[in-house]
Amino acid sequence: MSVLNIKDVSKIFPGGTRAVDTFSLDVADGELVCLLGPSGSGKSTLLRMVGGFETPTSGQMTIDGDDITHVPPERRPTGMVFQSHALWTHMNVFKNLAFGLKLRKVAPAEIKRRVEAVLELVGLGGYGTRAVTQLSGGQQQRVALARSLVLEPKILLLDEPFASLDQHLRERLREEVRDIQQRLKITTLFVTHGQDEALSMADRIVVMRDGKTEQIDRPDIVYREPRTPFVAGFIGTMNLIEGTVANGVFSKAGYSTPVPVADGPATQAIRPEALELTLATDNAQGKVHRVTDFGTHGLVDLELLDSTRIKAMVSHPGLFQPGQGVALAPKAIAAYRDDILIHRGALTPEIAARRETIDA
Amino acid sequence: MTTDTAGSVSPVQPHRGRPIGLLLVAVPVLMVVWLIIWPIISAVITTLWVKTPEGDIFSIETYRFFFSDGYSLSNLGMTLWTTGVCAILLLVVCLPIALYLRFADSRIAAYVQGLAIFPMFVPSIILSFAFIRVLGPNGTVDLVLNAVGMPKIRSPYLTPWGPVIGLVWDNIPLTVLILLSGLGSVSNQAIEAARDVGAGKIAVLWHIILPRISNSILVAISFAVLGIFSAFTLPYVLGPAAPEMMGPFMQRTFRELFEPQTAITQAVVTFAFCIVFGLFYVYSVAKNRAP
Repeated sequence: MSVLNIKDVSKIFPGGTRAVDTFSLDVADGELVCLLGPSGSGKSTLLRMVGGFETPTSGQMTIDGDDITHVPPERRPTGMVFQSHALWTHMNVFKNLAFGLKLRKVAPAEIKRRVEAVLELVGLGGYGTRAVTQLSGGQQQRVALARSLVLEPKILLLDEPFASLDQHLRERLREEVRDIQQRLKITTLFVTHGQDEALSMADRIVVMRDGKTEQIDRPDIVYREPRTPFVAGFIGTMNLIEGTVANGVFSKAGYSTPVPVADGPATQAIRPEALELTLATDNAQGKVHRVTDFGTHGLVDLELLDSTRIKAMVSHPGLFQPGQGVALAPKAIAAYRDDILIHRGALTPEIAARRETIDA
Repeated sequence: MTTDTAGSVSPVQPHRGRPIGLLLVAVPVLMVVWLIIWPIISAVITTLWVKTPEGDIFSIETYRFFFSDGYSLSNLGMTLWTTGVCAILLLVVCLPIALYLRFADSRIAAYVQGLAIFPMFVPSIILSFAFIRVLGPNGTVDLVLNAVGMPKIRSPYLTPWGPVIGLVWDNIPLTVLILLSGLGSVSNQAIEAARDVGAGKIAVLWHIILPRISNSILVAISFAVLGIFSAFTLPYVLGPAAPEMMGPFMQRTFRELFEPQTAITQAVVTFAFCIVFGLFYVYSVAKNRAP
């Protein structure tokens, strides 16, 4: 059992930059938690603090109840996989993996057994004598993962491990890493700025912004029920429309939807897949700007009457042409005011119909 | 439709560039041949063709004399000893400086780097004068020790340690710069990965950093050894009268004893040792670069 607890951890760099701001997180045994955020959100700094490569300015971190806040990296029960693999090029694959075991004075026969077992686990059986420079990027990343796993760490730390790989390889490796993590039931903290990685791998996602937590939830909840406009805009594609609510109707340049909140300014969020389009000539709320056909679906880039650009996902992109007028029918919306979620809900045809009544 | 036949495409550009490239290379190559290769060949020929009343004859007498003369051998031994001690001391002194400069991120590191490079701008003769004023008899160190009531130190001036101290000081900048460039290729993440698997500072240095900069160490030591072996000014001013290093020995044999052939023999022997170091360096670098 390995549980990681981070309590009120902050990191202020000498220049005064506050990279992580009173951050708290509990990672359960065997759980894979993704730290997700844009560059500069503090996710890598946080991971490096857990790994021991940065010292927190304040706060406390424990693993299985043991305080590790000021323990140097070589004495922490953590294993880190770096973005650039960080393999030692003067050692072959076997020596890269055996190095940590040798430092722990493990018997040579046991080192051989464990290294070969973990190489099999990552799909590199028989690669022990290869020079690491002879391996492809994906194989190097597997070696880096194996180097951490061979030491059986309590907490596995992954710092954007797939960032330097191509899209196809990235997708394959993240499935493999997830399989291995679930098989070994190893508690894992994973840093990424790729939302698809986080959504496909994590048990829980921590969305970070400016060193603080924006939302901690299961991937499906983070996607469907983003708590702030930032999370809404960061996870997946989201249309964020700034407008005004008056008498329970949100309106923006000819576009309006019923939103049962108090009057005032608001930001409405609609996923492209929740925005239905119909061709309209007289009561058009927007105009098609561009249509992109992705094969499985199409993405219509359209302009509202005040030139606000939003996107809608359609199943038949061939029906739409640039310049055509369209009517918008959102099926689910969320509304925010002052960065706080004030309304979320599906728009049934009955509710949506109120728009015409009100508009009329 | 593409119907290329074999040989229908001929590269024209490389032929046009070739004479210009060769001409550009020819100038320095000719200079090397004229100023280095030819004097070496000439010196070797001079030492092997001895003038006698009967005319020039082939003889290895000058080399036989050098390697049977106790004084010449002790001078050669002194030169090898000074070179070896300097090489070890340079590594011991410069490696920590280079490591500090590579991994420190404070402002002090910039001043340390400035200080480490400073000897490069000081001419050897000024350095010798400063050495005598500080470490020589009745120098600054002696005066300070006397002022605080402590006994005089035995000055390294005019002892074998005089040239050692001067030569190490003089070679610090180049050695530090070469080691620093080697350390630049050791990424922070490679070191962090080693610490992550449990390596302490000594283990990181021994297992990760040193193997990665072995080439740079070799280059730095080779450059230092080649320079020190044939050094003149510092051993001449700071070293003992006897035994002396090969540089002052050659000069004295030529200017004071008026024996140019013996001096040239000493130069050829010095060159032979240097070429051995040089070949060892080239072999090691080539071996390390091999895939």
